[in-house]
Amino acid sequence: MPDFNPIRTIAIKDIHDTLRDRFILIVTAFLGLAATVALVSGAIALRGDLATYEAAKATLLAIGKSVDGIKAPEFYPLRLLRGAIEQIEIIGAAVAILVGYRAAAAERGRQTLALILTRPLRNWQFVAGKMLAGFGLLAAGLAVVLVGLALVLHLTSGVGIGANDLARIAIVWGVALIYTSCFFLLGFVLTLHMKQPSHALLAAFAVWLLLVLIAPQIGDTLDPDNQVAGGVFAQLHIAKPDQTEIMKRFASFESLRNGIEVASVTKHFERFTFAILGIKATYAGMAIGPILTEMWSNLFWILLTALGLACLALALPLNPNRLAKA
Amino acid sequence: MSELSPNWLIARQSARFVLRERTVALLATLFVTLVLISAWLGWSATSTVDRIYVDAAAFLKASGQPVPTNPVLEISPLSLMRNMSVYVALIGALSAIVIGNRLVSIDRKAGVLPLIGIRPLGRSAYADGKIAALLGVVLGLIAIAGVMAVATFLVLPSVTLSGGQWLQLAGFLGVSALYMTCFGLVGLAFAARAKSETVALLVPVTLWLTLTFILPQLTANLNPTAAINPISALATPPDTSFFHWAGWLLGPLSLADAYKFASANLLDYLPQGMASPSFIPPVANIVLLTAAAACTAWRALSRIEMTQGDYDA
Repeated sequence: MPDFNPIRTIAIKDIHDTLRDRFILIVTAFLGLAATVALVSGAIALRGDLATYEAAKATLLAIGKSVDGIKAPEFYPLRLLRGAIEQIEIIGAAVAILVGYRAAAAERGRQTLALILTRPLRNWQFVAGKMLAGFGLLAAGLAVVLVGLALVLHLTSGVGIGANDLARIAIVWGVALIYTSCFFLLGFVLTLHMKQPSHALLAAFAVWLLLVLIAPQIGDTLDPDNQVAGGVFAQLHIAKPDQTEIMKRFASFESLRNGIEVASVTKHFERFTFAILGIKATYAGMAIGPILTEMWSNLFWILLTALGLACLALALPLNPNRLAKA
Repeated sequence: MSELSPNWLIARQSARFVLRERTVALLATLFVTLVLISAWLGWSATSTVDRIYVDAAAFLKASGQPVPTNPVLEISPLSLMRNMSVYVALIGALSAIVIGNRLVSIDRKAGVLPLIGIRPLGRSAYADGKIAALLGVVLGLIAIAGVMAVATFLVLPSVTLSGGQWLQLAGFLGVSALYMTCFGLVGLAFAARAKSETVALLVPVTLWLTLTFILPQLTANLNPTAAINPISALATPPDTSFFHWAGWLLGPLSLADAYKFASANLLDYLPQGMASPSFIPPVANIVLLTAAAACTAWRALSRIEMTQGDYDA
């Protein structure tokens, strides 16, 4: 049976090192700030919409007209998390790359990697210990951010959040952990194996840029409804069922667009979390079970990406030429 | 043969060395490729909307409903390049940060600062040379992007630009060069000042993330994924006093917002009646922030300790 003690020792040492230089606290605070700004600005915008609706309703009632003509703003507290989820999607992934970079670069910078490997420790145990520490730090960081967001949401939404909402946030935490782990592993593997750690960081950021920003951006831009301000169908006054009918003739274009989007693990994370939190209108009010069944393939791709990168990290032999600072 | 000035020598040598860097080459290639993709994206998306209109018009006629005008007819051909503004804001800015960082970190890591320090150079020669090198590399990248944009407009058969529109395209490329230079200067400044190589790179990247994804939420409640779509990024901000004040106060600092409005205006896709919430016009805002970044970079570079070698970590 493999000996897990060295893995635990390496993981605990790495967590202590990270907490001591306050690096993880600073990056978690940055992610928390970005997510909170997104949540608060969304809440302020929603209050503005509610105030406008109430004013319009009062005016119509005062002149004796029906209020059926104006649409009340829909209110699902978890929908306010949209901006925060997008910040985790973008900045959370960047933070995970930094945590991965730091996990590998710290030993190289201090020239301690070669020293550690002189101990009775297998290479895979060293890598597994580092990975365990990284996952632990990401789990704690994301938990702090999401608990903070849940608190702010509870206080600002006006209706509070219940157990079902908390369960959905907990599911999002789990999936966010797997998602950010993909980027942690990317930064970690590249930094551990590339000649120059700073080049590895830049290469990881180039991949981040392609997966997190460019691929979803191309897919989003190719969406015909995003080409005209307000949406092309809205401008042409085409109802939803007729839109679907028209878009059937553009099936190959839509397949290409969707293919570009789903090539990115970020899009899978976005689709899963938007469904669980009811941010996408079709899932608002739906129970967790059916959403999980429908969104299973997205979760599968995120898991597969993380597992693939974890296997790569464990399988790649440590090159003695890469042990010291370049 | 006339002797080259020290500033020019430093600029030329720095630009040559930074272009040999694989990471710089990777990011520059990515930028140029995406500029090419942006032309295809603009053309593909616009022609799809046109075909949707044809189908929708037939459907509306058959059901006896009035047929609105084709939205494509209201789109300027210049807006085909709208995605380029997103790629300049994303990969262009990041490339510029990396170029600025490497221009100084190459010298620090190679330990050549003491050697340069013992040469009979003026205090500002090193700073002038590095800033000139940054400008040269950024202008080179923008020139390649410009050639691609011009080729796209010349190749597409149904697209014709007027003299004024060619000037607008040149203006857009100029503003894009300024935007990238601003981030490159921040990269230069931190590469000169920071004690750690990681900090030298991460502080400008964090600033870029803040300007691109956090400030637009405060000024216009713009979610990050909307901020990277040229059309969605121009949604009207919520009509509340918070966003009016945030836009007015933070607008002058919100470089990404300023670039978004300047490029939308120059590429003719800014919706009618929409304007930047900042009290400073977008182009002037970019010029002012670039000038501030230039002063910071010049100060950091001219005060760089010539006895220092590699970064601490």
